[in-house]
Amino acid sequence: MGSAPRHSRDPLEFRPKMAETPPTRPAPEPDDQPCEPEAQAYLELRQLILAPEQEALERLHQRVDDPASRTEDVGSVVAEAIQLRRSQGGDEALSVALAPTIETALRESVRKDPGTLADALFPVMGPAIRRSILETLRSFLESFNQVLDQSLSVKGLKWRLEALRTGRSFTEVALLHSLVFRVEQVFLIHKKTGLPIGHAVASAVAMQDPSLVSGMLSAIQDFVRDSFHTSQGQGINRMNVGDLDVWVEEGPYAILACVIRGIAPRDLRDRMAEVLENVHREYSAQLDLFDGETAPFVKVGGELSRCLELRFKEDAKKKSFGFVYATAALLFLLVAVWVGWRAVQYARWDRLVNNLREQPGFVITSFGRDRGHFVVRGMRDPLAADPAQFIKASDVNPADGEFHWGGYYALDDGIVEQRAKSTLSPPPTVTLAVKSGLLFVSGAASANWVKDIQSRAWQVPGIRAVELSPELNPGRLAFNQAKTEIESAVVKFPVASAALSPGEALALRNLAATIQSLLQAADTLRQSANVEVLGHTDSTGAEAVNLGLSQRRADRVASELGQAGVPERILRARGVGTTNPLRAEDNEENRQFNRSVTFRISALAP
Amino acid sequence: MLQKKICMLGSFAVGKTSLVRRFVESIYSDVYQTTVGVKIDKKNVKLGDKEVSLVLWDIYGEDDYQKMRWTYLRGASGYLLVADGTRKATLEKAFTLEQKVREVVGAIPFVFVINKSDLIRDWELDSAIESQMAVQGWNILRSSAKTGEGVEESFSLLAQKMLG
Repeated sequence: MGSAPRHSRDPLEFRPKMAETPPTRPAPEPDDQPCEPEAQAYLELRQLILAPEQEALERLHQRVDDPASRTEDVGSVVAEAIQLRRSQGGDEALSVALAPTIETALRESVRKDPGTLADALFPVMGPAIRRSILETLRSFLESFNQVLDQSLSVKGLKWRLEALRTGRSFTEVALLHSLVFRVEQVFLIHKKTGLPIGHAVASAVAMQDPSLVSGMLSAIQDFVRDSFHTSQGQGINRMNVGDLDVWVEEGPYAILACVIRGIAPRDLRDRMAEVLENVHREYSAQLDLFDGETAPFVKVGGELSRCLELRFKEDAKKKSFGFVYATAALLFLLVAVWVGWRAVQYARWDRLVNNLREQPGFVITSFGRDRGHFVVRGMRDPLAADPAQFIKASDVNPADGEFHWGGYYALDDGIVEQRAKSTLSPPPTVTLAVKSGLLFVSGAASANWVKDIQSRAWQVPGIRAVELSPELNPGRLAFNQAKTEIESAVVKFPVASAALSPGEALALRNLAATIQSLLQAADTLRQSANVEVLGHTDSTGAEAVNLGLSQRRADRVASELGQAGVPERILRARGVGTTNPLRAEDNEENRQFNRSVTFRISALAP
Repeated sequence: MLQKKICMLGSFAVGKTSLVRRFVESIYSDVYQTTVGVKIDKKNVKLGDKEVSLVLWDIYGEDDYQKMRWTYLRGASGYLLVADGTRKATLEKAFTLEQKVREVVGAIPFVFVINKSDLIRDWELDSAIESQMAVQGWNILRSSAKTGEGVEESFSLLAQKMLG
């Protein structure tokens, strides 16, 4: 018994030396020296008996103390050790122990070279990302299709109106309405048995027995999976009948199914997944051991109700009012457009009518609209411009209205002037002008024509007076006419005689009458006139004789005129001899003309 | 609330659906059976002071046109194995079905029901077979969907076995 502790202690006593000396036979110990032969014998004995064990011990010590060999030892069994630990059920503790190290290792790996981990994860990340993108696209397309479906319907029109009214984009409005839905029932179904674990139902929803619905839902899932050989977790996730949708979300133990009326947004799917996760987390043990007893799941209904909550609010009352407003607004708009259009039309016609009203020869008596048709009544002078040209120049549609013209004589100066011109047909030398019913006549015309026009002008409607320009004054015309007549008269005499032939005497009496009328005309013009009586001779004979002869001839004619009643005070007789011949004396006839008396009238202002 | 999924198994035309109809008021039409291959009904059964809700999966019997869908058995707590006393082949089929169930979902409680007891004179079954089954520990009941004989008993017995 006493040697046992000794034996067991021995290796410990040797240990420090073992570490310092090579693993060969140790040198004699210092503390062995005092008891020499006995001790030596003991030592030898011990060596003889214990040498193999000691060597083995030394090797063990070396392995234990040397970090390199110790690492080697642990390394060769670490995998088996972990396996063993796991098989013994110490799984969790191992995970807990390893987790921080693994986390740090991962962090370190990423810090050093993110590529390594990325490469390792690549085969996993690819499908995960693809699936996520696919899901996102699918849900986007879903809502997009719904919007497209609705955009051309009556509903779409309503939404467009609403978009106009509210100033939101059509897409926004359409999406908002597309997402009107109601989750009517929520089933939590035990995946394996198809039995209902929980059930939540919205108010006022007619419901079927949850057991039957759950059973049938899972039967259909099985049926589809079976028929199309899809793998577990790939069953139906959506069923659609009319506006009723059944969305199914599958977890490891349970299936969550929502019966939805209307079109639900993607958010509901997220909510379902969340609820299902919560249920699995809270009831994982109960779900695993589910044997048809629903008692442990009494409280699951609250969680399921979260799926009922999500609902895009739509106040039906508000909506219908909105529609009424929109309709009213539309009606108002239409009326406004109609009224506006009518106003514009009316304004155009009004402009035209006013324009016509301003034209000479037009009188508008009435203008109005009769059942959308414009009616213009009035009178038009035949000489007025053609109304068609004004209509053409305006912006009205001629088909929108009609004109009724009565005939009349316009008193507009322009029209009256035109009318006077066409009625009186003046010679080209005469100019006619009308102003305020006064006809102005100017230019050159015969006294007769002037006289004629003075009487005829009254026949032209619209002319109330005639005013002649001064040169067309009748007195002046008479004066001029008499003057011309007198000054063109030639009283011829025989050769070297101052005697009047009977014919010339008669002519002189006529001339005297003309002079009388000249004097009368001068009187009307408030003028006086003198008549110069000029005696001429031919160029034969002496000039002195001729002068006397010409004087006698002048005197003879003057006295004859005096006798005929012409006042002597206006007569100036003068002989001019040959100084003022009438014609060149190249033949006898012309010479005869120079044996004569002529007259010249001079008018004098009073 | 305790619920149990039970299945109706048996050859084509042994009277599974008639038994179920005798037992419960259905909400689903029988059409489901030929389309999806199963029809589901429910019946609450009282066992002592305990009430069990039996969800019956009436599985379409295998015939020349349609295979039985074994996936429908998944999660069942028990089943009624139905045979037609007038057709011996259905009894033999029942043996294979029982074997197959054991392979697919394990040994779960079941009650063997030999239907059409109202036609007992036409039965092809000899008592030897019945006793052979009894020896194997099978619960055997005779039933008639026509008269209602043994129907309630079959379901109650199954419920007892499942809860026991």
